[in-house]
Amino acid sequence: MRFMIIRKADEQTEAGVMPSAELLDAMGRYNEELIKAGVMLDGMGLHPSERGARVELTRTTKTVTDGPFAEAKELIAGYSLWEVDSLEHAIELVKGWPPEDGDVEIEIRRVAEIEDFGDAATPQVREDAEKLRAITDSKAGQA
Amino acid sequence: MIKSDERTEGGATPTAEDLEAMGRYNEELVKAGVLLAGEGLLDSSKGARVRFKNGAATVIDGPFAEAKELVAGFWLFDVKSKEEVIEWVKRIPCTTDEVSRVEIRQVFEAEDFVIG
Repeated sequence: MRFMIIRKADEQTEAGVMPSAELLDAMGRYNEELIKAGVMLDGMGLHPSERGARVELTRTTKTVTDGPFAEAKELIAGYSLWEVDSLEHAIELVKGWPPEDGDVEIEIRRVAEIEDFGDAATPQVREDAEKLRAITDSKAGQA
Repeated sequence: MIKSDERTEGGATPTAEDLEAMGRYNEELVKAGVLLAGEGLLDSSKGARVRFKNGAATVIDGPFAEAKELVAGFWLFDVKSKEEVIEWVKRIPCTTDEVSRVEIRQVFEAEDFVIG
């Protein structure tokens, strides 16, 4: 099963403080081990929210608000996508997060698979999802 | 990133209609060469948090109370500008009158990490 591993934002990431060389090294080694173990599928770091925006949508209205957003602890500074056997396994691996990153909070969330949608996953939906996965997987390989 | 709400945190899964509308939207993104990845997340009761304090790890099991702070899913887009991504986000299918909340954030590229 797949999990999204979310590194929460804090004042430093929101202020645009770049990671130290020491942290980048440690994170590189951690990620390399996860890749070797076949766990890590993808990973991204995010710029501070001042470069982003929020959009609230209803059927008829679309409201755009430019960043930055005040509540650093509610924001995300980065994420990885992992393939592991269980939530417990993901937790064990997260416990090995590089201590160079300081007092951080990591959220672990299960990614939905097509089977999780039950009867709503009609043959059409399954076909669409498979086509999409093939395309996004090939893009990920190029990136 | 599409944010959670009471529906997604209540474990409500999308209807066939929702999934088909999303499939059509994703197909347009693919045709335009914009979509790199996209995933939905299960409600936070299937997750956990690990909090580090002075090197010690504390595990907190889900669910987490603040639905609006949580993420329910994400797309990864490759676009030329923030304006372009906003235009795509405005077209995310809304099948109900409830408000959907989407946050747009720029991803770091390798060249951003060049240190002084």
